[in-house]
Amino acid sequence: MEFKEVVGRRRSIRYFQSWRKVEREKIQIMLEAARLASCAVNATFLKAIVVIRDNIPRETLDALKTPVSALTIELAPVHIYTYVDMAAYKGAQARLKKLVDVGALNATHGWSHKFVDEFVWPNILKPLADNPNLASVAASAASDAGIAICQAMLAGVDEGLGVCLTAFQHDAINKLVKAPKEWIPLFVLLVGYPAESWEAGGQRPRPPLEEIFFEGEYGKPFKADPKVTEQMKAAKMIQAPAPLPWRKEEIKALARMFGLPE
Amino acid sequence: MASIDKPLEEYDSVKIWYQGLREQSGVEPTEDKSRLELLAEFCATLELDPDAIVAACLLRKEGKETKISIKGRRSMAERITDFQAKGGAEGREQAKRGNTIRSFLIHNGILLQSGIQI
Repeated sequence: MEFKEVVGRRRSIRYFQSWRKVEREKIQIMLEAARLASCAVNATFLKAIVVIRDNIPRETLDALKTPVSALTIELAPVHIYTYVDMAAYKGAQARLKKLVDVGALNATHGWSHKFVDEFVWPNILKPLADNPNLASVAASAASDAGIAICQAMLAGVDEGLGVCLTAFQHDAINKLVKAPKEWIPLFVLLVGYPAESWEAGGQRPRPPLEEIFFEGEYGKPFKADPKVTEQMKAAKMIQAPAPLPWRKEEIKALARMFGLPE
Repeated sequence: MASIDKPLEEYDSVKIWYQGLREQSGVEPTEDKSRLELLAEFCATLELDPDAIVAACLLRKEGKETKISIKGRRSMAERITDFQAKGGAEGREQAKRGNTIRSFLIHNGILLQSGIQI
């Protein structure tokens, strides 16, 4: 699938074919996409633990559900529990020097081993590594983790899977997955084949581009060019908006298939 | 104890339920009479009218916003599970007993998730 179409097709899927296993290689592809994501100081803030739902004891499965995520968690055959690793700044000094060695950070931009050792590490990164509770550290770590999760989600869509990022009860699953203390739980990425159509009722409503993005300064909208919008429609990045005319009928059919309230 | 003193359709919570079924779910509630019959049976079991059943899931404190009561919601979910198990129905019909009541509460703003029942 072309990239723009992958972006356009992604939806939060809430009805999965609960009985259908997901091929392990597809999960590997998703994890690889996350691993290759952009990350500050080459630190892998995102950590994740893949769990096959059917391997979770029933008591644990029930305990890890939140009121709004219960059904989706139950339906999804693969759960990827995501965390921010607040210890990821540690080791940044060596990783940055490796980026110098491989030609990613270059003298053209002022980078050298000496700059890393004598300025970047002691003055910038070490204080951050020593103070993981600083809001700026948490924000940048969560941002990088989010980017990585997004790439995994898009890779999943490209593989024909449905994905949904949702909340979970951290303590309940941690007894099973034993995540380290310094990992802060984020969301569970639910994965499986969609039981609803991939359109899932249409592309979700979002505010217009001009309302959320600005040019030059806040308050001056970034004006969308209608021609470009048409190109994105042709590339299937912008798709038919929700609700598609048959969505209610689809939900009724799903409710009856799974025995859910209408 | 709030006893039923008028037709169920005249309770505000039932009107809200019907409106939700029509507008959100695309279902015409009057087409299936068993909906109201099941609600009546549930009301009789709890000895509460429909509005009181919804109220039992809420926390109302003067001067504060109304919240969903964690205890009330949990207790109601258990009562629905019990109600579903009784009545002699099996399979989909049994699920329908519980889901009808869940639907009534859901459209009245009380989040309930039953899990798969296939």
